[in-house]
Amino acid sequence: MTSETLVLTALLPLSAGLLVLQTNPYRALVVRGILGSVAALVYALLGAADVALTEALVGTLLAVILYAVAVRSSLVVRLGVVTADLEQRGKELQTLMTELRRVLGQQHLLVEWVTYAEPADLAQGLAQQEVHVICTCSEPMGIHTTTPILRLYEILQREWTIPMTVDYQPLVAATGGH
Amino acid sequence: MLTVVLWGMIGAFLIPIYQMTRRGDIWETMLALSSVATKSSLIMLLVAVMRDDWMMGLVGVITLAVGNAGFMLLAHLLRRMAQTGR
Amino acid sequence: MDIASGVCFGVGLILWWWGTPILLTRRSILFKLHYLSVADTLGSLALMVGLLIRRPQEWSLWLLAVLSLVMWNTVLGYVLAYCAHPPELRRDE
Repeated sequence: MTSETLVLTALLPLSAGLLVLQTNPYRALVVRGILGSVAALVYALLGAADVALTEALVGTLLAVILYAVAVRSSLVVRLGVVTADLEQRGKELQTLMTELRRVLGQQHLLVEWVTYAEPADLAQGLAQQEVHVICTCSEPMGIHTTTPILRLYEILQREWTIPMTVDYQPLVAATGGH
Repeated sequence: MLTVVLWGMIGAFLIPIYQMTRRGDIWETMLALSSVATKSSLIMLLVAVMRDDWMMGLVGVITLAVGNAGFMLLAHLLRRMAQTGR
Repeated sequence: MDIASGVCFGVGLILWWWGTPILLTRRSILFKLHYLSVADTLGSLALMVGLLIRRPQEWSLWLLAVLSLVMWNTVLGYVLAYCAHPPELRRDE
Protein backbone atom coordinates (compact mmCIF):
# COMPACT_ATOMS: atom_id res chain seq x y z
CA MET A 1 0.00 0.00 0.00
CA THR A 2 1.47 3.34 -0.98
CA SER A 3 1.72 6.12 1.60
CA GLU A 4 -0.83 8.40 -0.10
CA THR A 5 -3.39 5.61 -0.05
CA LEU A 6 -2.55 5.10 3.62
CA VAL A 7 -3.19 8.78 4.43
CA LEU A 8 -6.53 8.78 2.62
CA THR A 9 -7.57 5.49 4.21
CA ALA A 10 -6.87 6.98 7.66
CA LEU A 11 -9.47 9.67 6.86
CA LEU A 12 -12.24 7.06 6.65
CA PRO A 13 -12.31 6.03 10.37
CA LEU A 14 -11.68 9.66 11.28
CA SER A 15 -14.74 10.97 9.49
CA ALA A 16 -16.81 8.01 10.68
CA GLY A 17 -15.88 8.84 14.27
CA LEU A 18 -16.83 12.46 13.70
CA LEU A 19 -20.18 11.35 12.30
CA VAL A 20 -20.88 9.31 15.44
CA LEU A 21 -19.97 12.25 17.69
CA GLN A 22 -22.41 14.70 16.07
CA THR A 23 -25.35 15.68 18.29
CA ASN A 24 -27.30 17.81 15.82
CA PRO A 25 -29.15 15.45 13.44
CA TYR A 26 -28.98 17.86 10.50
CA ARG A 27 -25.27 18.38 10.86
CA ALA A 28 -24.91 14.61 11.09
CA LEU A 29 -26.64 14.35 7.69
CA VAL A 30 -24.08 16.68 6.14
CA VAL A 31 -21.21 14.78 7.76
CA ARG A 32 -22.75 11.58 6.37
CA GLY A 33 -22.39 13.09 2.90
CA ILE A 34 -18.71 13.84 3.55
CA LEU A 35 -18.20 10.31 4.86
CA GLY A 36 -19.80 8.95 1.67
CA SER A 37 -17.40 10.95 -0.50
CA VAL A 38 -14.34 9.87 1.49
CA ALA A 39 -15.48 6.25 1.47
CA ALA A 40 -16.03 6.27 -2.30
CA LEU A 41 -12.54 7.69 -2.78
CA VAL A 42 -10.93 5.08 -0.51
CA TYR A 43 -12.77 2.18 -2.15
CA ALA A 44 -11.70 3.39 -5.59
CA LEU A 45 -8.08 3.75 -4.47
CA LEU A 46 -8.09 0.24 -3.06
CA GLY A 47 -9.22 -1.09 -6.40
CA ALA A 48 -12.92 -1.75 -5.77
CA ALA A 49 -14.45 0.37 -8.51
CA ASP A 50 -17.87 -1.24 -8.25
CA VAL A 51 -18.09 -0.71 -4.48
CA ALA A 52 -16.97 2.89 -4.92
CA LEU A 53 -19.67 3.50 -7.51
CA THR A 54 -22.32 2.00 -5.24
CA GLU A 55 -21.12 4.07 -2.30
CA ALA A 56 -21.16 7.24 -4.38
CA LEU A 57 -24.71 6.62 -5.58
CA VAL A 58 -26.26 5.10 -2.46
CA GLY A 59 -24.17 6.73 0.25
CA THR A 60 -24.33 10.30 -0.89
CA LEU A 61 -27.66 10.28 -2.69
CA LEU A 62 -30.12 7.72 -1.37
CA ALA A 63 -29.01 7.51 2.27
CA VAL A 64 -28.92 11.28 2.69
CA ILE A 65 -32.37 11.71 1.17
CA LEU A 66 -33.91 8.86 3.17
CA TYR A 67 -32.40 10.09 6.44
CA ALA A 68 -33.46 13.63 5.64
CA VAL A 69 -37.05 12.50 5.19
CA ALA A 70 -36.90 10.39 8.36
CA VAL A 71 -35.44 13.18 10.50
CA ARG A 72 -37.79 15.77 9.08
CA SER A 73 -40.91 13.72 9.71
CA SER A 74 -40.05 12.31 13.14
CA LEU A 75 -38.50 15.21 15.06
CA VAL A 76 -41.73 17.21 15.29
CA VAL A 77 -43.83 18.10 18.32
CA ARG A 78 -47.48 18.75 17.46
CA LEU A 79 -49.27 21.29 19.64
CA GLY A 80 -53.06 21.06 19.72
CA VAL A 81 -55.30 24.08 20.34
CA VAL A 82 -58.98 24.87 19.91
CA THR A 83 -59.75 27.31 17.10
CA ALA A 84 -61.83 29.61 19.31
CA ASP A 85 -58.92 29.93 21.77
CA LEU A 86 -56.58 30.77 18.95
CA GLU A 87 -58.86 33.61 17.91
CA GLN A 88 -59.47 35.03 21.39
CA ARG A 89 -56.08 34.47 23.04
CA GLY A 90 -53.92 34.52 19.93
CA LYS A 91 -51.25 36.79 21.34
CA GLU A 92 -50.61 34.74 24.48
CA LEU A 93 -50.57 31.53 22.49
CA GLN A 94 -48.08 33.06 20.09
CA THR A 95 -45.82 33.93 23.04
CA LEU A 96 -46.15 30.36 24.25
CA MET A 97 -45.30 29.06 20.78
CA THR A 98 -42.18 31.21 20.57
CA GLU A 99 -41.05 29.96 23.96
CA LEU A 100 -41.78 26.34 23.05
CA ARG A 101 -39.79 26.73 19.84
CA ARG A 102 -36.88 28.18 21.77
CA VAL A 103 -36.89 25.43 24.42
CA LEU A 104 -37.49 22.50 22.10
CA GLY A 105 -35.23 23.95 19.40
CA GLN A 106 -32.33 23.26 21.75
CA GLN A 107 -33.26 19.57 21.41
CA HIS A 108 -33.55 20.00 17.59
CA LEU A 109 -37.31 19.54 17.68
CA LEU A 110 -39.81 21.45 15.55
CA VAL A 111 -43.17 22.62 16.91
CA GLU A 112 -46.28 22.68 14.72
CA TRP A 113 -49.83 23.86 15.35
CA VAL A 114 -52.77 21.47 15.06
CA THR A 115 -56.17 23.14 15.42
CA TYR A 116 -59.40 21.49 16.56
CA ALA A 117 -62.93 22.81 16.38
CA GLU A 118 -64.19 21.68 19.80
CA PRO A 119 -62.52 21.02 23.20
CA ALA A 120 -63.83 17.44 23.04
CA ASP A 121 -62.00 16.89 19.75
CA LEU A 122 -58.84 18.24 21.36
CA ALA A 123 -59.07 15.80 24.27
CA GLN A 124 -59.70 12.95 21.89
CA GLY A 125 -56.76 14.00 19.73
CA LEU A 126 -54.51 13.84 22.77
CA ALA A 127 -55.90 10.47 23.80
CA GLN A 128 -55.29 9.05 20.32
CA GLN A 129 -51.78 10.52 20.23
CA GLU A 130 -52.47 12.74 17.26
CA VAL A 131 -50.86 15.61 19.19
CA HIS A 132 -48.10 15.56 21.79
CA VAL A 133 -49.00 18.72 23.71
CA ILE A 134 -52.33 20.53 24.13
CA CYS A 135 -53.08 24.05 25.29
CA THR A 136 -56.38 24.91 26.97
CA CYS A 137 -57.59 28.38 27.96
CA SER A 138 -60.55 27.48 30.20
CA GLU A 139 -59.91 30.05 32.94
CA PRO A 140 -59.41 33.74 32.07
CA MET A 141 -55.90 33.90 33.51
CA GLY A 142 -53.08 31.84 32.09
CA ILE A 143 -52.89 29.00 29.63
CA HIS A 144 -52.85 25.41 30.74
CA THR A 145 -50.40 23.14 28.89
CA THR A 146 -50.76 19.39 29.16
CA THR A 147 -48.57 16.63 27.78
CA PRO A 148 -48.74 12.85 28.19
CA ILE A 149 -45.04 12.41 27.39
CA LEU A 150 -42.88 12.30 30.50
CA ARG A 151 -39.63 13.25 28.77
CA LEU A 152 -41.22 16.31 27.18
CA TYR A 153 -42.66 17.29 30.56
CA GLU A 154 -39.23 17.06 32.17
CA ILE A 155 -37.65 19.25 29.49
CA LEU A 156 -40.41 21.84 29.79
CA GLN A 157 -40.21 21.83 33.61
CA ARG A 158 -36.49 22.36 33.51
CA GLU A 159 -36.36 25.07 30.87
CA TRP A 160 -39.60 26.97 31.33
CA THR A 161 -39.16 30.73 31.89
CA ILE A 162 -42.53 32.37 31.19
CA PRO A 163 -45.24 31.99 33.87
CA MET A 164 -47.53 29.29 32.49
CA THR A 165 -48.50 25.97 34.01
CA VAL A 166 -47.33 22.70 32.55
CA ASP A 167 -48.93 19.41 33.51
CA TYR A 168 -47.97 15.81 33.01
CA GLN A 169 -50.98 13.61 32.42
CA PRO A 170 -50.25 10.00 31.46
CA LEU A 171 -52.57 8.41 28.95
CA VAL A 172 -55.30 6.27 30.47
CA ALA A 173 -54.67 3.34 28.15
CA ALA A 174 -50.87 3.39 28.11
CA THR A 175 -49.76 2.11 24.74
CA GLY A 176 -46.04 2.79 24.99
CA GLY A 177 -43.92 3.60 22.02
CA HIS A 178 -42.60 6.91 23.27
CA MET B 1 5.75 14.49 -11.00
CA LEU B 2 2.23 13.14 -10.67
CA THR B 3 3.07 11.95 -7.15
CA VAL B 4 3.92 15.51 -6.11
CA VAL B 5 0.66 16.77 -7.60
CA LEU B 6 -1.21 14.00 -5.75
CA TRP B 7 0.35 15.03 -2.43
CA GLY B 8 -0.63 18.62 -3.11
CA MET B 9 -4.20 17.55 -3.79
CA ILE B 10 -4.30 15.44 -0.62
CA GLY B 11 -3.12 18.47 1.36
CA ALA B 12 -5.88 20.60 -0.10
CA PHE B 13 -8.34 17.76 0.58
CA LEU B 14 -7.48 17.82 4.29
CA ILE B 15 -8.57 21.46 4.71
CA PRO B 16 -12.35 20.95 4.29
CA ILE B 17 -12.10 17.78 6.40
CA TYR B 18 -10.58 19.87 9.19
CA GLN B 19 -13.29 22.48 8.66
CA MET B 20 -15.88 19.76 9.27
CA THR B 21 -14.46 19.09 12.76
CA ARG B 22 -14.96 22.68 13.86
CA ARG B 23 -18.19 23.92 15.42
CA GLY B 24 -19.90 26.57 13.37
CA ASP B 25 -22.79 27.35 11.13
CA ILE B 26 -24.24 24.33 9.36
CA TRP B 27 -23.79 26.09 6.02
CA GLU B 28 -20.05 26.07 6.49
CA THR B 29 -20.26 22.30 6.85
CA MET B 30 -22.28 22.27 3.62
CA LEU B 31 -19.52 24.24 1.89
CA ALA B 32 -16.97 21.74 3.20
CA LEU B 33 -19.17 18.95 1.83
CA SER B 34 -19.31 20.40 -1.68
CA SER B 35 -15.56 20.98 -1.60
CA VAL B 36 -14.86 17.42 -0.43
CA ALA B 37 -17.11 15.97 -3.14
CA THR B 38 -15.29 17.80 -5.95
CA LYS B 39 -11.82 17.16 -4.58
CA SER B 40 -12.34 13.45 -3.99
CA SER B 41 -13.47 12.95 -7.60
CA LEU B 42 -10.45 14.86 -8.87
CA ILE B 43 -8.09 12.74 -6.74
CA MET B 44 -9.80 9.66 -8.16
CA LEU B 45 -9.23 10.89 -11.71
CA LEU B 46 -5.57 11.69 -11.07
CA VAL B 47 -4.90 8.29 -9.51
CA ALA B 48 -6.68 6.71 -12.47
CA VAL B 49 -4.20 8.37 -14.82
CA MET B 50 -1.27 7.44 -12.60
CA ARG B 51 -2.22 3.78 -12.51
CA ASP B 52 -3.59 3.72 -16.06
CA ASP B 53 -6.85 2.36 -14.67
CA TRP B 54 -9.71 3.25 -16.97
CA MET B 55 -12.39 1.88 -14.65
CA MET B 56 -11.41 4.11 -11.74
CA GLY B 57 -11.55 7.15 -14.01
CA LEU B 58 -15.07 6.18 -14.99
CA VAL B 59 -16.05 5.98 -11.31
CA GLY B 60 -14.59 9.43 -10.74
CA VAL B 61 -16.52 10.91 -13.64
CA ILE B 62 -19.80 9.33 -12.54
CA THR B 63 -19.26 10.56 -8.98
CA LEU B 64 -18.69 14.03 -10.35
CA ALA B 65 -21.79 13.84 -12.53
CA VAL B 66 -24.37 12.50 -10.08
CA GLY B 67 -22.95 13.20 -6.63
CA ASN B 68 -24.25 16.71 -6.19
CA ALA B 69 -27.97 16.15 -6.69
CA GLY B 70 -28.52 14.89 -3.15
CA PHE B 71 -26.72 17.88 -1.67
CA MET B 72 -29.11 20.27 -3.38
CA LEU B 73 -32.08 18.48 -1.85
CA LEU B 74 -30.33 18.59 1.51
CA ALA B 75 -29.69 22.32 1.13
CA HIS B 76 -33.36 22.97 0.42
CA LEU B 77 -34.38 20.86 3.41
CA LEU B 78 -32.01 22.76 5.70
CA ARG B 79 -33.40 26.03 4.42
CA ARG B 80 -36.95 24.94 5.17
CA MET B 81 -35.85 23.90 8.65
CA ALA B 82 -34.28 27.30 9.28
CA GLN B 83 -37.49 28.97 8.17
CA THR B 84 -39.92 26.97 10.29
CA GLY B 85 -37.62 27.19 13.30
CA ARG B 86 -37.91 30.94 13.42
CA MET C 1 3.58 17.83 -23.75
CA ASP C 2 4.85 17.16 -20.24
CA ILE C 3 5.55 20.84 -19.64
CA ALA C 4 2.08 21.90 -20.78
CA SER C 5 0.34 19.46 -18.48
CA GLY C 6 2.72 20.41 -15.68
CA VAL C 7 1.76 24.07 -16.05
CA CYS C 8 -1.93 23.12 -15.95
CA PHE C 9 -1.40 21.04 -12.81
CA GLY C 10 0.51 23.91 -11.21
CA VAL C 11 -2.22 26.43 -11.97
CA GLY C 12 -4.89 24.04 -10.65
CA LEU C 13 -3.01 23.32 -7.43
CA ILE C 14 -2.32 27.01 -6.82
CA LEU C 15 -6.02 27.79 -7.30
CA TRP C 16 -7.02 25.01 -4.90
CA TRP C 17 -4.56 26.13 -2.27
CA TRP C 18 -5.55 29.74 -2.68
CA GLY C 19 -9.30 29.22 -2.40
CA THR C 20 -9.73 26.41 0.11
CA PRO C 21 -8.10 28.01 3.22
CA ILE C 22 -10.71 30.77 2.98
CA LEU C 23 -13.08 28.15 4.43
CA LEU C 24 -11.20 28.44 7.70
CA THR C 25 -11.51 32.21 8.03
CA ARG C 26 -14.34 33.98 9.84
CA ARG C 27 -15.86 35.79 6.87
CA SER C 28 -19.49 35.76 5.74
CA ILE C 29 -20.85 32.62 4.13
CA LEU C 30 -21.39 34.20 0.70
CA PHE C 31 -17.81 35.47 0.60
CA LYS C 32 -16.54 31.98 1.35
CA LEU C 33 -18.92 30.45 -1.18
CA HIS C 34 -17.72 32.80 -3.91
CA TYR C 35 -14.04 32.12 -3.37
CA LEU C 36 -14.53 28.41 -2.85
CA SER C 37 -16.59 27.96 -6.01
CA VAL C 38 -14.08 29.96 -8.07
CA ALA C 39 -11.16 27.99 -6.67
CA ASP C 40 -12.83 24.60 -6.93
CA THR C 41 -14.30 25.02 -10.40
CA LEU C 42 -11.36 26.76 -12.07
CA GLY C 43 -8.73 24.71 -10.24
CA SER C 44 -10.44 21.45 -11.08
CA LEU C 45 -10.83 22.61 -14.69
CA ALA C 46 -7.10 23.32 -14.92
CA LEU C 47 -6.24 19.95 -13.39
CA MET C 48 -8.61 18.21 -15.79
CA VAL C 49 -7.07 19.97 -18.79
CA GLY C 50 -3.68 18.76 -17.56
CA LEU C 51 -5.00 15.22 -17.42
CA LEU C 52 -6.54 15.63 -20.89
CA ILE C 53 -3.17 16.69 -22.33
CA ARG C 54 -1.58 13.67 -20.73
CA ARG C 55 -4.21 11.16 -21.95
CA PRO C 56 -5.76 12.56 -25.15
CA GLN C 57 -7.10 9.18 -26.31
CA GLU C 58 -9.76 9.23 -23.54
CA TRP C 59 -10.99 12.69 -24.46
CA SER C 60 -14.68 11.72 -24.24
CA LEU C 61 -14.32 10.85 -20.56
CA TRP C 62 -12.60 14.14 -19.77
CA LEU C 63 -15.14 16.08 -21.79
CA LEU C 64 -17.99 14.52 -19.80
CA ALA C 65 -16.15 15.22 -16.55
CA VAL C 66 -15.49 18.85 -17.46
CA LEU C 67 -19.08 19.46 -18.56
CA SER C 68 -20.62 17.89 -15.47
CA LEU C 69 -18.15 19.66 -13.18
CA VAL C 70 -18.91 23.09 -14.62
CA MET C 71 -22.66 22.54 -14.68
CA TRP C 72 -23.06 21.00 -11.23
CA ASN C 73 -20.70 23.33 -9.43
CA THR C 74 -22.46 26.37 -10.83
CA VAL C 75 -25.89 25.04 -9.97
CA LEU C 76 -24.82 23.89 -6.51
CA GLY C 77 -23.18 27.25 -5.82
CA TYR C 78 -26.38 29.00 -6.82
CA VAL C 79 -28.55 26.71 -4.71
CA LEU C 80 -26.30 27.08 -1.67
CA ALA C 81 -26.26 30.84 -2.02
CA TYR C 82 -30.04 30.91 -2.33
CA CYS C 83 -30.53 28.67 0.69
CA ALA C 84 -27.87 30.14 2.98
CA HIS C 85 -28.84 33.72 2.27
CA PRO C 86 -30.11 35.43 5.45
CA PRO C 87 -33.88 35.51 4.84
CA GLU C 88 -34.48 38.90 6.48
CA LEU C 89 -32.51 40.53 3.68
CA ARG C 90 -34.67 38.95 1.03
CA ARG C 91 -37.67 40.87 -0.18
CA ASP C 92 -39.95 38.11 -1.44
CA GLU C 93 -40.73 36.69 2.03
